[in-house]
Amino acid sequence: MSEIISQAALRALAAEWISSARQVFGPTAINPHTVAYSPLNSADALLLEGFVHPANSIKEVVFPRHEVLYGYRIEGNSVELLDDHAPLPEQIVIAARPCDAAALPILDRVFNWDFADEFYNRRRAATTVITLACNTADESCFCTSVGLGPDSERGSDVLLFDLGDQFYEVRCLTEKGHALFRGKTETADRTAMAVSAPPKKFDPQVIRSFVIEHFEDAFWKDHALACVGCGICAYTCPTCHCFDIVDAGPSAGNARVRTWDSCQFPIFTAHASGHNPRASQSSRQRQRILHKFAIYPDKFGEILCTGCGNCTRNCPEGLGVLSLAMEIDRG
Amino acid sequence: MDNIYKPDLMEVISVRQQTADVKSVSLRFLDAERAKNFSFNVGQFGIFSVFGFGESTFNICSSSNWKDRIEFCFRRVGRVTEAMWKIEEHDIVGFRGPYGNGYPMDAWKGHDLIFLGGGIAMPPIRCAVWYALENRADYGEITVVYGARTVADLVYADELDRWAEFDRVRVVRCVDPGGQTADWKGEVGFVPNVFEKACGKCNDPIVLVIGPPIMIKNTLPILDRMGVGAASVYTSIENRMKCGVGKCGRCNVGPLYVCKEGPVLTMEQLQALPADY
Repeated sequence: MSEIISQAALRALAAEWISSARQVFGPTAINPHTVAYSPLNSADALLLEGFVHPANSIKEVVFPRHEVLYGYRIEGNSVELLDDHAPLPEQIVIAARPCDAAALPILDRVFNWDFADEFYNRRRAATTVITLACNTADESCFCTSVGLGPDSERGSDVLLFDLGDQFYEVRCLTEKGHALFRGKTETADRTAMAVSAPPKKFDPQVIRSFVIEHFEDAFWKDHALACVGCGICAYTCPTCHCFDIVDAGPSAGNARVRTWDSCQFPIFTAHASGHNPRASQSSRQRQRILHKFAIYPDKFGEILCTGCGNCTRNCPEGLGVLSLAMEIDRG
Repeated sequence: MDNIYKPDLMEVISVRQQTADVKSVSLRFLDAERAKNFSFNVGQFGIFSVFGFGESTFNICSSSNWKDRIEFCFRRVGRVTEAMWKIEEHDIVGFRGPYGNGYPMDAWKGHDLIFLGGGIAMPPIRCAVWYALENRADYGEITVVYGARTVADLVYADELDRWAEFDRVRVVRCVDPGGQTADWKGEVGFVPNVFEKACGKCNDPIVLVIGPPIMIKNTLPILDRMGVGAASVYTSIENRMKCGVGKCGRCNVGPLYVCKEGPVLTMEQLQALPADY
């Protein structure tokens, strides 16, 4: 037995959430060529099929690309710091991919390691994630290589399975999930069939060993030659979380803000003296792999990558974790 | 909401120009309760800011025994420090911290201390020197070798004279060849060589060496020849930082987050890390 919902009823439910005070995000066509997770103004805009992975990730729901940490008012010699007391709306992500949902428990660790980041935590607490299991994968997908799969429950409050006939099986995994679907589903005697998983493409332990043991290796230089240093790998990654803190001056409302940053940019680590510990693009590419497969796992016991494939899918040069990892794994 | 990024507001007590492009600033907390409860270890750092311009990371270069103020020192080199250059007495600036581990001053007790500094590296040495001088009985002989490109680039030059007046303290000043003036009474040469010439022998000392990578690189073989083990040689890794709390992702040297597990490391620790610094 299972709980199911028709696509029409699911859209009606999404419409109800949109019309309430909630902020609803989901995959939508932001232009004829691009599907991205975006705020939805209409349930009709929600895409439930016809794409593999949106061009971005759901991290921006809990870690916006630009966020005010506090404002300040300067009058003569006095400074007053201003907290943003605006209440945070309840947030719902609908039709997240399992590889995006799985990133949230991974990000939880970083933002609560010793110092608790309440900007992240309050958005996370206000967010419910409704995940849509994958029934399709492309050549960039590799969730199964990092211990996940197309129907992984990790980080999801609800997991939906496309039953193929305009119906979805609804598996509520948390109380937050139940709260959204209680009384909205019908009981049926059919359950989702197995979803198709991408093949395993590399062994993460091999990547970990390689980056530690071959810290100085021509491999990094060879691959960095093609890298244009654009940072799209980090910006579209569900687990990349590096940030900058900068001042938006008087013209932007006098606030100190956090913005996304990327380890692929030379200024990321540049010292005031001019010295740069990671002066070359090869050292920056290596850092991204090192962080995902060695540094984070050593600290928190799991890989900083969910196999979404966005870094490879979006890279203008076809680099990213998958391309590098497959080549390392081949030896 | 507890906001880990929100700074304390601090009033500028005084500003001193140290060189043509270096200034030091003394600050006091505006909040009396915070001032009373604040403590730190020498060697820890803070994130200092000018509102409207941004934050920058500096060692807290005052001694932790000074309860009425904290100090930092900066070189005018970018957007934030350009704004800091203009700050005056009674201005309000931001401070977050203290962050990082600091020098293990208790573990250093009973040892001779050797401080080797180059250029703008004097501030993070100065806090430890003052701390050791204020707890003079706890430490053995103290040697300070401090060099800069020219005489005009020496920071805290007046304090070097004051240190030299203490019992069992030796202060050696040097400038790079060509950086001396007609009345220069210090040494001419580079810190590693001047140090080697000045201190042939030592007795199981603790060495704190901070300066440009080339200075550190050239100092290590000399210390090795003197029989000082890498576990007794300390430095402070001054990597670029933004958050100070282990999240923003840039200060790591391989697996080590400098903001949390540093900035103070022994050469033994540093040599075990990948060449990522």
